Formats: sequence, structure tokens, C-alpha cells
Amino acid sequence: MAVGILLVTHPGIGSALLATASTLLNGNLPLRAEAFEVPYDGDPDALLPQASAAMRRVDGGDGVLILTDLYGATPSNLAARLARLGTPARRVSALSLPMLMRVMNYPELALDELPAVASAGARNGVIFDDA
Amino acid sequence: MLERELLVANKLGLHARATAKLVQLLSGFRSSATLIAKGREVNAKSIMGVMLLAAGHGTKVMLRLEGEDEAEAMEAATALFERKFDEES
Repeated sequence: MAVGILLVTHPGIGSALLATASTLLNGNLPLRAEAFEVPYDGDPDALLPQASAAMRRVDGGDGVLILTDLYGATPSNLAARLARLGTPARRVSALSLPMLMRVMNYPELALDELPAVASAGARNGVIFDDA
Repeated sequence: MLERELLVANKLGLHARATAKLVQLLSGFRSSATLIAKGREVNAKSIMGVMLLAAGHGTKVMLRLEGEDEAEAMEAATALFERKFDEES
């Protein structure tokens, strides 16, 4: 019983975050995860099938948490369409390394509980330096 | 005060680059600017604010301008929307 994680971002972002999270967790990501990057002049209609295939690959039967980098931008709009295709999905934006690490720390949670966890991870990742 | 309904006609809608063009344009005018769509009102000089509207292709938005250069600003903004943010050839 595990939720899949799909990162939908501008070029370079999702793959870098996923690779870093994986390295920091010593190569053991507890959840199936993939990064789908949208090229700058990509056509969302043409990309939808590929994005949908990525979503299916990470779906283990309990839905997919879709993490996007910037709400309102093309990757996020594509993710909105993915979320309406039929697979249970929730979308959270402003993806960051703290958000991703936080999600990976709670692999046993159900899909409906993960957006709050992701959001808290991102927010709590902001720490002002006292110096 | 001027208000005009504008149509988001470019294919990708008010995505990040189109939004940035609009905000950069409006920020060059003294008038205050508000964009209203889907029941929300945002500061049209804020990129993050406008992106929150996620106004896709076909969305009608209302642009409200208030200030001494409002007429000029409205013409410029209208032209930008009509040119589809210079995204299509």
C-alpha cells in the first residue's frame, strides 16, 4: 500500500531534486517516484500521453501525489490535466528539496494525508539564520 | 478608473512567461492595476499574484486600472493580450 510520487516541473528541476533526495537517502527511496520535465516550448497536448505514462508507472494502486514547481506555469497546468484523468491524484506546488524529503519520510501515509505533509515540509524548511 | 474585459487567447494561457510580460509592462506605468478572474482579484503587478489565477486559454479576465496614465496603460495591455503575448507566429 503505497502512494506514487510524480514530479512535474520545468527542465532540470524535477530530476535534480529527485536525484539529490535519492542520494541523501542513501539510494533508498521508500516510494516509487519519477520526474517528468516539460521543455520550454513543449506542447501540453502532445506531452499529456507521456506524462500520463509516467504517472501510471509510479502508481502502485493507491494514487499519485503530483508535485509541481510553480503554480500557474505550464508544468503545473499539465499536472492539472493529469490529475483529472482518472487515477486518484493530489497536486501540490512549490516543490522543494525539504518538501520532497518530508514526503519521503512518511511513505506509509495515504494520498489524502500527503498534501498537508508536503506543505508543512516546505514551510518548515524555511529557517532564518540567526547570525 | 478604467475597466476592460480581456480574453486570454494564447495557447498556453497566462503561464509564467506571458504573466511576466504583462507584469513588466504594467509595472512601467504609475497606475495601480488589478486583474480579476474566476472570482479572484489579484495585484496585476505581481507575477506570483497573477499566476495564482491559473487563467488558461479561453479565460476572460477583467483588468482594472487607476491612475493618471490609465488610458495609456490600458491600450498597451490590450495590445499585448491581442498579440497573444507575442507567443504565436
